[in-house]
Amino acid sequence: MLDQNMIHHLSEAAVAIELETPDMTLNIGPQHPSTHGVLRLVARVDGEQVYDVKPVIGYMHRGYEKLSEVRTYPQIISLINRIEWVSGYANEIPFLVATERIMGLEVPERAQFIRLILTEMTRLSSHLMFMGAYPLELGASTPLMYALRERERVLDLVEGVTGGRFHPNFNRIGGVKPVAGAGPMQKKLSQDLPKGFLEDTMTVMDQVLATSDEIEDLVAGNEVILARTKGVGILSPEMALAYGVSGPNLRASGVDFDLRKKADYLPYDQLDFETAVGETGDCWDRWWVRLVEIRESAKMIKQAVEKMPSGPLQAKVPRIIKVPKGETYVRAENPKGEMGYHVISEGGQVPYRVKIRSASFNNISIMPPLLEGTLIPDIVAIMGSLDFVLGDVDR
Amino acid sequence: MKRFESIEDMADSVAEVVGAIRHTSDLGTIKVYVERERWREAVTAARDQAELPFFSWLSAVDWTNEVVVGDPPAEEVEERYEVMCAVSNITDGQIVILSADVPKDDPVIDSVMSVYPGADWHEREAAEMFELDFAGHPNLVKLYLTSDFVGHPLKKSYALISREVKPWPGTVDVEDMPEKPVSDAPSYENPDA
Repeated sequence: MLDQNMIHHLSEAAVAIELETPDMTLNIGPQHPSTHGVLRLVARVDGEQVYDVKPVIGYMHRGYEKLSEVRTYPQIISLINRIEWVSGYANEIPFLVATERIMGLEVPERAQFIRLILTEMTRLSSHLMFMGAYPLELGASTPLMYALRERERVLDLVEGVTGGRFHPNFNRIGGVKPVAGAGPMQKKLSQDLPKGFLEDTMTVMDQVLATSDEIEDLVAGNEVILARTKGVGILSPEMALAYGVSGPNLRASGVDFDLRKKADYLPYDQLDFETAVGETGDCWDRWWVRLVEIRESAKMIKQAVEKMPSGPLQAKVPRIIKVPKGETYVRAENPKGEMGYHVISEGGQVPYRVKIRSASFNNISIMPPLLEGTLIPDIVAIMGSLDFVLGDVDR
Repeated sequence: MKRFESIEDMADSVAEVVGAIRHTSDLGTIKVYVERERWREAVTAARDQAELPFFSWLSAVDWTNEVVVGDPPAEEVEERYEVMCAVSNITDGQIVILSADVPKDDPVIDSVMSVYPGADWHEREAAEMFELDFAGHPNLVKLYLTSDFVGHPLKKSYALISREVKPWPGTVDVEDMPEKPVSDAPSYENPDA
């Protein structure tokens, strides 16, 4: 044991000479409160300075691409909304559009609008989670309460329509689920959106817009958060594009690229909305872009409710879905970024191959260059700002 | 940056720039086929001359007539791997898929990591899943699988182990729907279909 003199002697020595902090390897994870799942980071550090980070992934690899080769198309829909559970509903859309495109199905307009509203609600739920969780990682716990309160309201709406909060499984090839349940009794019941859904949606969207202002006040006025995010983890637009970083992370770097504007998978062209584009590409911009997207999504949902067409919810499809030979890649703007499915059908009930392109996989592959040369506390700030879900990384 | 009148125009233009053997633009997806020997050259041309700076994904398909899982192809195909790299521009968001055939007895193709650094993980994934070799990749170790994992799961010859241990509880893996519901049982028919 050290006696008092020895401690005094050591502290003197520490002051007199420069601390030797040689190359040390620091393991962060696989279980760590800030990693949103099982991600392991192997960081080589010198004191507080990080000079090499290797993300180790695969702890959640569930082999959905292989499973898709032995499942029918309707079965795959219930699999793929588990890829990214924070926005499960939005995951299904590109796969459905790809299947419908190969089959040559025309989805009724009302079904498309319901899909659009639910996709944007999923975006609200995902972004609100980030609005609260990210400041929490930086030490501010209050925004989480406000964000989760609104998220519950949005998820209640989703649950009212689909019966599920995270894995709605509400989509069908050719439309959306037309009956609330199966069986002879259900046929007599209403086969559409629940009563009062559209009015409730308008009320909740107004609440979301009001809360987004509250959250902005709470976070944008917090000097600690500003100091920890502004100018930290700057991602250049060239690097973001070359790594395939997409979604809010790409737009934060100043690239005006939103698939809702560019691709034609849902009737976004009938709505009036703006894309949020950041300036510097630092952690703060990534937070700010998502805040603006919450407001735009809420406005889009209100517009879609006003424009909601009437009509059937389901195109005419055979009871056994057989998809003709064909191949297409459909991508969509998921809350996390570009989500796409490359579906190769050789005819029959199961696809020959489904390549799943998930947003978080590319978004965290940027980590090694982005974290190089930062400080250990910045790892948490940068990692949190990328807003990834490990299920979306590993698939 | 130039805009195109139609998807066919863009397909023609990209195919000319990258020196494609043939190209298709069915179902809204531009697909450009190039030779394996010119893979890196073609991907570089796609980025620089065809102005497609956004790297989306890279993966492969195992084309084979004898499958252990799933359905075999409708018609007989040439045994090969098809390596695909999807890139896009940021003005109109049209995806372009570059494709090259890799023979199974020599499954080597150039790495495009020097062109798009984001291809790093995608190539590691394709390598472990399909037994492909990406020449020039500096660190082609396994990405998802453990280092002692045997086999290449996305090959069509790789059986799903869970099915070997515990068979699917139905009569066949993917059952056909019954043509008509049993007489007195409640009907589960879709009223709109």
